[in-house]
Amino acid sequence: MGKKFLKFEFLLLFAVFIIATCGLVYELVAGTLASYLLGDSVKQFSFIIGVYLFSMGIGSFFSKFFHKNLLNTFVEIEILVGLIGGLSSVVLFLLFESVEYFQFVLYLLVFVTGFLVGLEIPLLMNILKDKVAFKDLVSNVFTFDYIGALLASILFPLVLVPKLGIMGTSLFFGMINVSIAIVLCFLLKKELKNGYFLKAKAVTSFLILLGVFVFSDSILSYSEGKLYGENIIYTNSTQYQRIVLTHNKSDYRLYLNNNLQFSSTDEYRYHEALVHPVMSIAKSVKHVLVLGGGDGLAVREILKYKEVEKVTLVDLDEGMTKLFKVNKILTGFNQGSLNNPKVTIINTDAYIWAKSCQEKFDVVIIDFPDPSNYSLGKLYSLNFYQTIKSISQPDAAVVIQTTSPYFAPKSFWCINKTVMQVFPQVDAYHAYVPSFGEWGYTIAINGFGTTFNQVIRKALGLKFYNYQFDRFNYFTKDMISNEIEINRLDNQILVRYFDEEWGKLQ
Amino acid sequence: MKNGENYSKSRRNFVKGIGASLLLIPFLQFCSDKIIQLLIRLSGTNHLLGHRLWIKDFPKPTSQIHIPYLIVGGGISGLSAARQFEKKGISDFLLVELEGHLGGNSSNGENQYSKFPLGAHYLPLPNFKDKELLQFLEEEKIIVGYDQKGLPVFDELQLSFAPDERLFYKNNWQDGVVPKEGNSKDQDLELERFFKLMDAFRIGKGKDEKYLFDIPVYLSSNDIETRNLDKMTMKEWFEKNDFKTEPLFHYIDYCCKDDFGLGIDYVSAWAGIHYFAGRKQDANSDKKESVLTWPEGNARLATHLKKYTDKKTLKNHLVYEVKTENNKVIAKVFDDVKKVSVEIVADKVIMATPQFVNQYLIKDRKEYTKDFQYTPWLLATLTLTNLSDNFSFPLSWDNVIYGAKGLGYVYDQHQSLNQIQTKKVITYYYSFSSSDLRKTRKELYKKDKEYWKQFVLDDLKIAHPDIENSTEEMEVFLLGHGMVSPAPGFIFGEAKKQASKTIQNSIYFAHTDLSGISIFEEAFHHGINVVNQILDETTLDS
Repeated sequence: MGKKFLKFEFLLLFAVFIIATCGLVYELVAGTLASYLLGDSVKQFSFIIGVYLFSMGIGSFFSKFFHKNLLNTFVEIEILVGLIGGLSSVVLFLLFESVEYFQFVLYLLVFVTGFLVGLEIPLLMNILKDKVAFKDLVSNVFTFDYIGALLASILFPLVLVPKLGIMGTSLFFGMINVSIAIVLCFLLKKELKNGYFLKAKAVTSFLILLGVFVFSDSILSYSEGKLYGENIIYTNSTQYQRIVLTHNKSDYRLYLNNNLQFSSTDEYRYHEALVHPVMSIAKSVKHVLVLGGGDGLAVREILKYKEVEKVTLVDLDEGMTKLFKVNKILTGFNQGSLNNPKVTIINTDAYIWAKSCQEKFDVVIIDFPDPSNYSLGKLYSLNFYQTIKSISQPDAAVVIQTTSPYFAPKSFWCINKTVMQVFPQVDAYHAYVPSFGEWGYTIAINGFGTTFNQVIRKALGLKFYNYQFDRFNYFTKDMISNEIEINRLDNQILVRYFDEEWGKLQ
Repeated sequence: MKNGENYSKSRRNFVKGIGASLLLIPFLQFCSDKIIQLLIRLSGTNHLLGHRLWIKDFPKPTSQIHIPYLIVGGGISGLSAARQFEKKGISDFLLVELEGHLGGNSSNGENQYSKFPLGAHYLPLPNFKDKELLQFLEEEKIIVGYDQKGLPVFDELQLSFAPDERLFYKNNWQDGVVPKEGNSKDQDLELERFFKLMDAFRIGKGKDEKYLFDIPVYLSSNDIETRNLDKMTMKEWFEKNDFKTEPLFHYIDYCCKDDFGLGIDYVSAWAGIHYFAGRKQDANSDKKESVLTWPEGNARLATHLKKYTDKKTLKNHLVYEVKTENNKVIAKVFDDVKKVSVEIVADKVIMATPQFVNQYLIKDRKEYTKDFQYTPWLLATLTLTNLSDNFSFPLSWDNVIYGAKGLGYVYDQHQSLNQIQTKKVITYYYSFSSSDLRKTRKELYKKDKEYWKQFVLDDLKIAHPDIENSTEEMEVFLLGHGMVSPAPGFIFGEAKKQASKTIQNSIYFAHTDLSGISIFEEAFHHGINVVNQILDETTLDS
């Protein structure tokens, strides 16, 4: 009897240990997710811990209302904790998008888990109170409780999150939690009433968790859909980037590596402002060069001028240009511009290509990603613009997308100042694109044969640009920045400005 | 384009991105765990041929070449001498080199993905008053013009790109190689005090109106107090000046090994301070501490100099004896390709060879040359499928690991204009700083390539724990006599002075080991000065 009892006590204490570990893991999962999603990790962790401890207190309080079948209740709670805790991260991930609602669910889950864990310890002490001396009981239960907590807090950041990910961790601990219930069901057969029913419940819960664990891949891709807040209608990973196309009502949006590339409702503003100023002032537009812009939307605007004989588009990513040549929806946006016989596509590194290019162009349109890292920063350097000058005809017009003068004035004017070192005439202008905000461009002329206000030709049917350049080159005080340096390969000061300015907004 | 939405509208998308990528980590790890067979090659300077100088088992010369000027050694000193001859309108010279290529310590290798240095890999911006060097850089379009202040404008593509340096310190990469983030207040104050002292040494001049520390070294002041710094080690100087902090020691140890091969425990304090004070940082106005660098390292500079030796070079030729005879110099040379010996008869010979070699070529030189010490070096070039770390600061040109045995590594493709590199190529540097360099050198050649492979990987693992899995190839290059090492007493000692002396107005010496520090500028000026000396003397004679 003594031996058997020892086993009984040991089992239950082991259960306490597991509950404590699992409980803390769920709490940490909730805290981590909350700080990722809502920001301010100190606040989130603090709130989560507070709510969790408080709900444990509530659980303890309510434990006095349980009188009968204490062991059964204990096992049931064990199953419930495993199921709810284990699935909590999955639920939270799927509810990413609606924040207010999300916070409610988050704290509800934290509360329920805390409540159940809070119930268990007093329940257990009630179960064991007639079998063990009170002094030993209290000491043992709390010892195991706190050891479990320590184990969880060490394992979580060092092993669990790196190895299993957040979702995997909570599901994994859910399974451990439920398997303890299963073990208890089998070993304490005689002490439990309705053992079969309990066992069935436990095994079913385990299978649910296991199922979700196995299919977490597809859940992930579903939650990625949620991440964009719109219906994903197309995804493709090329060698260089992940392309995602979403659709919401009449708006299509294209994301490259999670950065918005365009929204179909207002991209015409961006692309008309990019293309038409240079096209209207250039001495000639026979041969146009586009760097970047693999979506073909700038080319669509260029082809509105009948004088254009040849467009050369250089984009690093073949996957991107191919997609915009064949995909039905996408060729709808660029009006099949990339399939136009006037257009030559070259998939290579623009810098390297320009260095060895033998031709000279009448118009150069540069539409690169923002200078958010040192690799991209090279494409905004003094040497790069010198290279561009070397492949520009006399009086050629050049335009560069140069990020937002409102959000990043230093970056904007840094590029402008760098271009000024190279080209004889340089100006800047900006346009409002609702999905981006206030967006800006630097424009240059390789000579003095024409001016920014001299409209030589116009295209018909524009929705945004009215060929009055002087309406676009006025900058209010909040979009001006002085005392900036020139961006060179050996200082890459632009990347630092950009990081400083966009980083501030995070 | 356009991070507008991402940043401006929704912070959530960004943080979600992080959340999602955290979830992806285990899946990605699963995919990348395939085992890559690591290919390793071991090579080095041609020490086997060089060591035949010990026994001199060469065949008797079977032919003769007559030439007015002979240059022995095709490192920077020899090449610079060739350039100076041409500048002075003299083309009847011949250069002889033991290796199959020219460049000496400024040589390089190349693989499918990148060129890489096999020795010296950068040139700090020159001192403004070093007009000869400025002129060379201008000739080679490294200086592209001069600004309104009259300061040189360097070619953007040849200045090291940003970010140029990072240090792995306290488990994070930080900007620059001076330990900064996470120091105590006292440590910061000491570093500050040290740099202030160095600033003073940099501008300081002696009673003779010469800089206390200058480049080339012989231009430095005779000031006794400063020269006495050559009588102690850098470590002793630290103790004397009450410097105690570990981060400072580590940083200076790195600097000294980088330029002299020896760490602070063994290097002369004069040399250690010269590292900071010799370069005046006055050649440009904004980025004073910039360096010029190329994927192949200083082999680029050697290539510029090589054009002056076209069709006047014998490679794979080992000079094994040099002596004077009837106002002529006779050099016996072994052709390692045809396996025959030749006798070259010259009016003047420039020994642009290190003194440890000269002692076997010229009679009675061992007594001067025994005090010359040379640190062995190991270079390992790794081809990597990727180079991941904790992303605390982006991959830079020079990457130093605090607490590692080696000097960190150089990212060989850093000067590339490409957006993407399919493979990354890095070169790891290690100098065998020790109190007994001869013993160390012997041990060096005993170890096999597996040993060195593990040695290099273990040292890099401090900052890149999974580097072994992503290493495809490793090329280990050993330099038995990597560079002359200025131990205390050497730079201003008797041995150096004696070994520099011309023999019978016909055998001249030009090599960085006669400066005591092995840097490009010293070699460059040795080459120029020796030719000027020969021509001055000849004009006086006639």
